[in-house]
This record gives sequence, C-alpha cells and structure tokens, in this order.
Amino acid sequence: MNTFMRWTGFIVVLFIAAPLVIVVPMSFSNASSLQFPPPGYWLGYYRAYFTDMDWLVPTWNSILIATATTVLTMLLVVPATFALVRHKFRGKGIADVMMLMPLAVPHIVMAVGYYSYFGDLGLVHSHFGVILAHTCLSVPIAFLVLSANLKGFDRNLERAAQSLGAGPAKTFIHITLPILRPGLIISSLFAFIQSFDETVVAIFISGRDAETLPRKMFDSIRQEADPVIAVISTLLFFIVLIGIAAPYFASALRSRAPKPSRPAGAH
Amino acid sequence: MTSHLQLSDITKTYGHFTALDNVSLSVDKGEFVTFLGPSGSGKTTTLMIIAGFEKASGGSVKVGGQSISQLAPHERNIGIVFQNYALFPHKTAVENVYFPLQMRGVGRAQGLRQAEDMLSLVGLKGFGHRHPKELSGGQQQRVALARALVFEPSLLLLDEPLGALDKNLREQMQIEIKRIQRSLGVTTIFVTHDQSEAMSMSDRIVVFEKGRIEQAAAPLDIYHRPQTSFVAAFIGESNLIPATITNAAARTAENPTLGGLDYSGTEVLSNGQKVTLLVRPEHIKLSRNPIEGRRNVRMTVETIVNYGDNALVIGRAGDLPMRVRVLGADVVIIKEGEECCVSWMRDSVFVITR
Repeated sequence: MNTFMRWTGFIVVLFIAAPLVIVVPMSFSNASSLQFPPPGYWLGYYRAYFTDMDWLVPTWNSILIATATTVLTMLLVVPATFALVRHKFRGKGIADVMMLMPLAVPHIVMAVGYYSYFGDLGLVHSHFGVILAHTCLSVPIAFLVLSANLKGFDRNLERAAQSLGAGPAKTFIHITLPILRPGLIISSLFAFIQSFDETVVAIFISGRDAETLPRKMFDSIRQEADPVIAVISTLLFFIVLIGIAAPYFASALRSRAPKPSRPAGAH
Repeated sequence: MTSHLQLSDITKTYGHFTALDNVSLSVDKGEFVTFLGPSGSGKTTTLMIIAGFEKASGGSVKVGGQSISQLAPHERNIGIVFQNYALFPHKTAVENVYFPLQMRGVGRAQGLRQAEDMLSLVGLKGFGHRHPKELSGGQQQRVALARALVFEPSLLLLDEPLGALDKNLREQMQIEIKRIQRSLGVTTIFVTHDQSEAMSMSDRIVVFEKGRIEQAAAPLDIYHRPQTSFVAAFIGESNLIPATITNAAARTAENPTLGGLDYSGTEVLSNGQKVTLLVRPEHIKLSRNPIEGRRNVRMTVETIVNYGDNALVIGRAGDLPMRVRVLGADVVIIKEGEECCVSWMRDSVFVITR
C-alpha cells in the first residue's frame, strides 16, 4: 500500500510538473516555432521579448490593468466585506448572492454581455472597460478571502483598543488593519492574478489598444506559435515561484537570528 | 466617603426581554467589588454598560460625580481585562502596554519606559519583547492587567479574567490581582460566576439574579446573613428548611417534617409567617445517638462524599434533603444506608424571609 501511494504521488507530481519541464527548455530553443525537444539552444527569444514592442506593450497593459483592477476591487470589497460580515440589514442575503454571482456565471457569458453592453457605452477597446470588467470578476474572489479573515477576527480586540483610549478611526488604523493585513494582501494578490490571467473577456473587449498579455499570447499561438510564448511562460513561472518562496526564506532567516535569553523568575 | 462609581436605576431591555431591571449601586474609591451570579443574570451586561459597549435603556452611570452615560468607550478612561485577554497579536507585550499611553500622546521613549515599569509591577520584568503567542496564559493575563492599569484608569473592570486558567494558576492570580489592586488603590469591578473567587477577593459582593441585584454586602455577610433564598443557595452549600413561625417572641418555628425548630436573629417576625431557615452543612453535628439538651433530627444517610480532610454526608430527614459536612476523621462513625442523628445550635439557624 505504502509503495502504491508513493508511486501515485510520484505520477501526480510528474503530471503537474510536465508542462514546466517542457516549457522551460523550449524558451531557450532556437527553433522557429514551438517544438519539443528543442533542436538547439540560444537566448534569442529572450532578446526578442525584451525588445519587441508587440510584446512589451501588452505586458505593460496587463500590469496596468491588473494594478488598477486590484485597487478598484479592494476599494469596493473592504467596505462591502465589513458591511456584510458585521452588520445585519434588509436585503443582506441578496447582496451576499450578488457579490458571488460573477463566480457562477461562465466567463464567456460575461464576455458576450460586456461586448454588447460596453459597445453601447463606448468602453470597448479601452483600458477602462477592461478594468471595469476585470474588477467585476475579481470582487467575489477578494470578498471570499477577506470575509473568511474578518469572520475570524476577535471583536474584543477592537473593544479593548477603545477602552484603552482609541477612537473608531485610530482603532481601525492601529488594530483592525494591521491584524487583517495578511488577509488584505492575499485578497489583493488574488484580485491581481485574476486580472493578469484573464483571457476570455480580454479577447472580446480589449481590442488592439488595450491588448493584454494573455490575449496577445492567445493570438500568437493561433497564428505563428512564436516561441516567445515559452519565454513569457518561463518568466511568469519564476516570478510566481519567487513570490511563493520569498516568505519561507524570510521566516527561515528570522528564526536563525539569535533569540535573547529567557529571563527566569516571572511566570 | 463619597461614592466613586454610582449606578442609578440602570435598565436594559432587548425587545420584550428585560436584561437589567433598575440596578442601583454605589462603589467607594479603592473598593474591590465583585459581580457574582449565574450566566444570564445581568452581571456582564452591567459591566458592558459601565464600559460603554452597551447602551442602557434607562438610568445613569456616574464616575467621580460626573455622568459618563453619554461618553464613547474611548472617552471614559476605564481599564478592562477581557476573559480572553484580547492582547493585540501584532504587538509585543511592552507595545501592548504602551498602546493606551500612545493614544494619550505620550512619546515613544517615555511611554515604553513607563510600560516596562508596569510590566515589572505585574511580575513580567524582561518579557516585554515577546509577542502574546510566546507567552503562557498566566503571563498574557498579567500583560492584559498591566495594559489596563498603565494609564491610571478611574475604574478597572475585570470580565471573568481567570476563567481560562487552570486551578493552581487561578489561585495564584487571585492573590496577584488583589496585591496589585491594593498597591495601586484602583477601584475595581470584578465579574465572575465562581463564588469561591468572589469570597476570597472582594471587599463587597453584589449577587445578580434575573437582571436584579439580590444582595450587595461583604463576603461574610453574604455567607452568614443572606437576604434571599437564592443568595443562600447560590453561595456555599446550604440546607434550606421551609418553616412557619410558631412563637415569634420565643423564636421558634415549625417544619411539618422536622417539628419544632429554634432560630436566632433580631428581625421582627410575626406568628404564622412563612419563612425559610438556613443551616450551613458545617454547622450541623452528626452523631449516632441523640445529643442531650438539643433538638435532634433523625436522618438516613444516602451518600458519603470523601474529600480526605473532610466529607460531605448527604441524607434525608423525612422528605427533606440534608447535607452535613464533617471532619474527615469523624466520618468513620457512619455508613451509607444507616440512620443517625443530626443537631445544631440555635445560633446556626438564620431566618430568610424572602
């Protein structure tokens, strides 16, 4: 049984890792289109990515749109989460469902809706249009993460702060916000990634002016299978890897630092 | 001495439910007062109204002669220790204690020094740099106490602060809290449902039941002279015997099962009045044969609970349940299922009219 489990685990890991094993070498390939195994190796496609405006502009668009989406999402989600988690009001149940609706509706349905709706408003092919659509998709994700955090928040901490002389604003700044910080960071991260990743809506409404990176990659793989796609995938993979690993390294470094000796006597 | 804290006719209703019904109380400066009662009796609600987290439906709260009913919690200058301590997890112990000083505009260097001094007073010298999760329950308790005291509050409120500690630590903290409270002379309200805690710590105990104050008196008064049957039953162990006064002048009463009984006290009663007689289990003498010169009652022993130094004998005199506390060494004279005699002095019988 033990051996069987170990093999199962190994096969699962292999399946998850396989695309990476293929994509990373392909990014260094000298073939003219995506091909595995690569016939030879060079760094030419990296140079191509960092010098070609056809790739850099969509990259910039994606970063801009994802950042704006994150800011807008958090501006909406933080007050909404406090209202929905901490207060009871008429229509709360409906508001809860509306918050999560974009998760249930298929992206393609949303995309078609935005395409015709934003067309009338003149928001198609604009950054602002994509930001609005992406915010709509990010809100439920950020809300889910943040509301889970807020539900676990001990309200006696706020009461204690108030009894100690902090008014509502100071209590929020000094106590509520710092304690919720991990939740806020994670929910903004999810909002950012959601927007950065999003392809379907972007294909429908981003047009040439607000073209995002996923859309450009999709177009490229359909038309020419440019190996620059492998370069971008590799870069994104390593950025994410660093992002995930950084906190572990930070905490490992911190725990290696010498601790002050333990004073005896007191309880 | 003028009263420091004055509660006048505090009422709190939730819809049709009355949580507090005309609670009035005055507390002297430096006094240690315990609110004691079962859960839902209104003791915590009263505390929350004093702190400002609950709004009273009626009545007023005054501290030092000034009404604070209209002030927000952060304007009241009242220190609170919560049952779960509510230490700020993102701040170290000393930063937790510094927080109220920071809110009052004290500079960081001076404030941290003051906070360290306060930590020393509660016995946590050298622990300031630790985060709450690196401290034991007892240490967290002390940090919470230091934080609630460092800004010299006009009132210290303790909301069942010992509930989460184990028994030994609890007794140690009872003594600690008393020591710190005395040395600072801070007026303190302590909420608990543990009667032994209330007995050992308080200058005065306020017994709550169903949103009203049953009795407010010194611990020994509460124990020996309870004013209501609820207080008598809630504090300590008790034998409550329903009786009718037969001769008020001679201080005799009668219970249908036990017959004639003598009682003590100076209260003016009238013949035929229905009363409850209280006899504490430790005031009852248990013997094999009747004792001369006393009224003796025959009791059948049902259960003997042995505690080593003493034992609790539970039995029945007719249809009346009886509890007798005897010294550990004396318990050998009796066995479960046997019949024996119980008797008591007239002075041990206290009359409760309510």
